[in-house]
Amino acid sequence: MIRRALSHSGLVLACLIVLLPILWVFRTSLVPDHASYSTDLLPQPTLENYRVLFAEKQFGTNYLNSLIVSILSVVLSMPLAAMTGYAFARFRTGGKAARFATLASQMLPPVALALPVFMLYRAAGLTNSLTGLTLVYAAINLPFLTWILMGFFESIPEDLEGAAMTDGATRWGAFWRIVLPVAAPGIMAAAVLGFILSWNEFLFALILGGSKTATVPVALAALQTSNGVQISQVSAGVSLAILPLLIAVRFIQKYLVQGLSFGSVK
Amino acid sequence: MTAITLDNISRDYGCGIFGVRDVSLAIDEGEFMVLLGPSGCGKSTTLRMIAGLEVITSGRIRIGARDVTELAPRSRNVAVVFQSYALYPHMSVRENMRFGMKMRGTPLDEQDRRIADAAEILGLDPYLDRKPGALSGGQRQRVALGRAMVREPDVFLMDEPLSNLDAKLRGEMRQELVKLHRRLGKTMVFVTHDHVEAMTMGDRICIMRDGQIEQVGPPLEVYANPTNTFVAQFLASPAMNLIPARLTAAGGGLGITAGPLAGALPAREAALYARAAAEPAILGLRAEDVLTAPGPATLPVSGKVIVREALGAENLIGIETDGVTLSARTERQFLPAFGDQVTLHADMSQMHLFNAATGVAYPKGT
Repeated sequence: MIRRALSHSGLVLACLIVLLPILWVFRTSLVPDHASYSTDLLPQPTLENYRVLFAEKQFGTNYLNSLIVSILSVVLSMPLAAMTGYAFARFRTGGKAARFATLASQMLPPVALALPVFMLYRAAGLTNSLTGLTLVYAAINLPFLTWILMGFFESIPEDLEGAAMTDGATRWGAFWRIVLPVAAPGIMAAAVLGFILSWNEFLFALILGGSKTATVPVALAALQTSNGVQISQVSAGVSLAILPLLIAVRFIQKYLVQGLSFGSVK
Repeated sequence: MTAITLDNISRDYGCGIFGVRDVSLAIDEGEFMVLLGPSGCGKSTTLRMIAGLEVITSGRIRIGARDVTELAPRSRNVAVVFQSYALYPHMSVRENMRFGMKMRGTPLDEQDRRIADAAEILGLDPYLDRKPGALSGGQRQRVALGRAMVREPDVFLMDEPLSNLDAKLRGEMRQELVKLHRRLGKTMVFVTHDHVEAMTMGDRICIMRDGQIEQVGPPLEVYANPTNTFVAQFLASPAMNLIPARLTAAGGGLGITAGPLAGALPAREAALYARAAAEPAILGLRAEDVLTAPGPATLPVSGKVIVREALGAENLIGIETDGVTLSARTERQFLPAFGDQVTLHADMSQMHLFNAATGVAYPKGT
């Protein structure tokens, strides 16, 4: 009994360590700036910070920009990543070198790519456009998603495709009708991870974007002004920024757990 | 015409590594052919080559009159039952069965009729709307069979389909498969490493080793006349006793010295193996031919009991003498204790003789 109580206390403590900062951010978003560092739980609760964000700071536009580029980049990169990941998993496509290159691309510091991409984009007239940002996010996501999906596809028994192909399907038909549905949990998990990656991305959004195309991370950074950090507004922005992630993870929790543990059991 | 002809087929992985090498085999129409061999012998590769799931680097395959060597799996009209069953996990049993027919454009009412027929034959009616994950191993096995049946293929290819089942279910499914083969009358190729499955199910068995065929023939014929020591040992459990031997002419007949066994051969065997005299040879004796009582053609052998497996209906006894171990399948009443000194009797009228250098059997009667 005591042992159980102790272990539960430990779990509650661990949860608090994770949750408290988030809850405190939410609390701070509901108080005026001058009360943000107060130790009181909720002095003068107000929605003013949210009003300022949307009415005076174009946060609605930033939010929409983030949603558009995050969703579109995943939509754009996912089919390509699925096909590339499948090719890596099933064939000798590109050999070990291609696999390594895929992984190696993730090891580069983003800033090493940011400037060359900026030069290219400027020449192509893609700076300060959501299209440009979507494309670069899709390109960043592609090797990452490919790598994740390759693992999922490798864990799907090849016999399933063998069965489908002797049943009358082409290789493409077997991929489309059998492999993809079976890999759905993995694909959903990968999509959410790709979305989070794009949603949180700051450097490219800052360099390639402008005021009209600023995303949430850029908008939040802009709240750090020469007059100091407007911490209550930042908190309101962060609370809103967390929201889609919470919703996404809540809806696909089942797939995420299934996907991340995919292949661990037969 | 749905006979299968393999004409010198090979699967070359490069660097001199072959999965299958120059295999030629003619499987008759409606025949139940079992490909038998240890892991890595190429039996599954051969099956996958027939199905079109494995590249054929040389040779030709014909199914009936059609040369299918270059054809895609979907164009060969074969159905494969995999060891893992390979049921589509996101589809119900009914959808699993329907998939192949849908791919081939079978009319919907015909699809429903075939599914109903197969479900009735295989006892799958109550499970048609379940997903494979909600079925037991035996039920999944039936669904895999049903999925193959409804396609009405020219040829059934089965890759160790019983090996994931428990012993009791395996026995039942063995009989059901034989019944199914009789009912459908289709050509079936069945891959297994289990000699009991091979002996009980096959019209003929094809024993493979290292990507090549060792022997093909009806099960009892192969059992009675193994062409070499590999086949002799693989096709029984316990494996055939093999003892280095030498035959010598003795008083108009032939004598044998094989480890602890020594004496004159019966007249018939002396005549059969006369040409082996003086050559280093290997004596082969099946466990059931090592008896507990002397007979007209037996030679005695004494040794210490080192293996003692009471199976209920019979016992497996292993004795050791002069560094030679001899297995015997005995009646259940004969159950000595470990370490006991016992005398067994080798029935030389059932002996096999192999060339010691090549392992190849001396032909009987020539």
